[in-house]
Amino acid sequence: MRSLVSFLLLALVASVQAISSSGGNRLLVILEDVAEKDGYSKFLGDLEVPYLYKPHHLLIASTTGRGFDIAYETPKSESLSLFHLGERSYDHVLLFPTKAKGLGPNLTPNVLLEFINAEGNILLALSGSTPVPSSLVSVLLEFDIHLPTDRQGLVVDHFNYDTTSASEKHDVLLLPTPGPLRPDYKHFFSLSSSGAPDGRERAGERSGVVAFPNGIGQTLGQGPLLSPILRAPSTSYSYNPKEESEAVDDLFASGSQLSLVSAFQARNSARLTVVGSADMLSNTWFDTDVKKVGEKTSIKTLNRGFAKAVSGWTFGEIGVVRVNWVEHHLNEEGLSNASNPKIYRIKNDVTYSVSLSEYSWDKYIPFTVPANDELQLEYSMLSPFNRLKLNPTISSEDSTTYSVSFKLPDQHGIFNFLVNYKRPFLSNVFEKNTVSVRHFAHDEWPRSFVISGAWPWIAGIGVTVTGWLAFCAVWLYSAPPAKGESKKKQ
Amino acid sequence: MRFLHSFVTPLLLAAGAAQAASSWSFDDATVQVNGKKAAGTKEKFSETKQLSQPITISNTESIKILLVAKDGGKGKRPHQAFVVLQDELSGLEAPFPMTVKENGKAVVDIKYTDLPVQLATSSAPLKASVVLASFGSSQGLNKPVFSIAPKVDPNAAPLVYEKPLRYGKREAIHHTFRDDPKNPPKIISAFFVLAVLATVPALLVGWLSLGANVSHIQRALRDAPIAHGVFFGSLIALEGVFYLYYVSWTLFQVLPVISVVGAATFLSGTKALGEVQRRDSPGRGDYDSSQRKMCCGNKNGVDED
Repeated sequence: MRSLVSFLLLALVASVQAISSSGGNRLLVILEDVAEKDGYSKFLGDLEVPYLYKPHHLLIASTTGRGFDIAYETPKSESLSLFHLGERSYDHVLLFPTKAKGLGPNLTPNVLLEFINAEGNILLALSGSTPVPSSLVSVLLEFDIHLPTDRQGLVVDHFNYDTTSASEKHDVLLLPTPGPLRPDYKHFFSLSSSGAPDGRERAGERSGVVAFPNGIGQTLGQGPLLSPILRAPSTSYSYNPKEESEAVDDLFASGSQLSLVSAFQARNSARLTVVGSADMLSNTWFDTDVKKVGEKTSIKTLNRGFAKAVSGWTFGEIGVVRVNWVEHHLNEEGLSNASNPKIYRIKNDVTYSVSLSEYSWDKYIPFTVPANDELQLEYSMLSPFNRLKLNPTISSEDSTTYSVSFKLPDQHGIFNFLVNYKRPFLSNVFEKNTVSVRHFAHDEWPRSFVISGAWPWIAGIGVTVTGWLAFCAVWLYSAPPAKGESKKKQ
Repeated sequence: MRFLHSFVTPLLLAAGAAQAASSWSFDDATVQVNGKKAAGTKEKFSETKQLSQPITISNTESIKILLVAKDGGKGKRPHQAFVVLQDELSGLEAPFPMTVKENGKAVVDIKYTDLPVQLATSSAPLKASVVLASFGSSQGLNKPVFSIAPKVDPNAAPLVYEKPLRYGKREAIHHTFRDDPKNPPKIISAFFVLAVLATVPALLVGWLSLGANVSHIQRALRDAPIAHGVFFGSLIALEGVFYLYYVSWTLFQVLPVISVVGAATFLSGTKALGEVQRRDSPGRGDYDSSQRKMCCGNKNGVDED
């Protein structure tokens, strides 16, 4: 009995952990000193498995934490290793700022890149007050994310700062929560005042601010894999606080060129997020009262909700699209409509369907395409012959089916049904199904009697047959004609 | 100095109300377009008076902006002294930091080649703003002062801005099918069908006029009824098999049937044609022998052909 109960509890623990993130729940947090984690206790507490060591509380507690199994390490720790026997030891890594110039032999740029290649996610928190370790600078360069020269920079904005905490240094930026990058992109980072991030929320309801204290800005390269989550306001700029000069000489970047929180999603959907200010994740700036320049009333920061959205996105809790199944079949009367045949004929009517789900914090929900965007099916041989919009047809509790019916082009060969849906902040969808397409068989063409141009020829055959039979009858049964006539004939 | 300030922040906060009055401003501001050879005229602008006409700049020219930054009326060096150019269509901005002296004298020289390609190829004039701000409680200044119209030089190599790849929906493609094969008008086909069919009566009438008949059918059926019935029947059956082959049968359905019908034709044919020959040959029948001979010779000749 006792063993049965413990087995059930174990199963429950396993199931709770399994649903914490679509990409796994082993999180490694790297700090300069493990004691520093108290400063981020609210943020880390939101991530942690609730009451892990009190299994009897599990049933009521599963709503608070997000179920990550957190390990704390310092860069100097000898036991620190991201890989064990070639497999990832952790699913996600959270790096807080460290003071050392390098990160030691266990966190070389190469190891971090391999971690991304092995579909591990990294959340990198930097700070404006400590220089960024050079190994991280080179990792970020690999992703085309650029940091200020000398590995240090501080973002200030003399027009948008918090007057209660930074009236002199102007280094606590107050920013509205970001809207969508483009109207056709999903946005996960705009928060309502309640602080609950919701991808489907209307942009007009945004209120409250995100505080960005003591942070370093990044500039992003041209690549499509990079997207800024939080951009700096247009009057802000980055400077090196170590430099003694009283004016900016060598400007790194300013305005919206500066990305304060940047996201990189690799082709394998692994995610790297750079948060320019580690302080914005700290307890100090969660739900603090701040006052904008020129405003009388103070407002609460939305940092807790923003940190939840950023970490949730990075660790694969939101914005992960799953393909449940792909199906295509012949859509013609009186013919076999078996699923996913290997061969079609040109000009066949075909229906293609794909079922998609999106992970949202703890469960899969139906995936909906943003209003101005389209999910497209390409029917291609080398280049696409058709690129068609897939329309939602069936919606269930946890999935939406998108489908399209079309007539195959009049070209035979090896074709692909290809759904290549890559969008910022959504994991990549790439589904390729190959089919052979043959041309008409000899008995599939229209019969000659339905072709009006063939009628004279068909009539000719009929006339020949009739004439032949008449000739045979005459040959067999004709009585000889009268003599005179016969001579005339010859 | 600033480090010290961070310690005295609370004190400054208390004093903030008194300091709030001071703000950044500028004075003696001029803008000048300089070509390769000659310097252009200086145009004055101020915080309140924007230049009404956009300043045109071509690919060999540069713009020189001079001003004196002031904090609360006194010349001072601000930490942030930028001229920001903004493309009003796309919202893209490019900052140009000014070189500022201790007394607030600031200067920046913006060459055409310094303009980012996105701005240089913009179709709308670029809005130039002066941003002056610094640490502390002095209020910053961010004022649009004039606009710049980059002029495309027809002789210079055109600037090309290639948009970077961004994921998004792509243009729909619908395959264009080849045309179906076309038929001539049905009336023409029908006319030729009739013309072809008309040859049957023409043939029969021709034969009749030459004296063809089927008068011996009864005699043939009396002399060799089975042979004649099977032979002519099998000729019709052969055509029937060919018709079924055209409509639905396959070759391997046709071959056995054809072999059976063909054997029947062969076996019954020898007898039936023998009867015809007996009937027609001289001395055997009750016809005029000389005439039949000629007739038969003629027929044999046809057969051998």
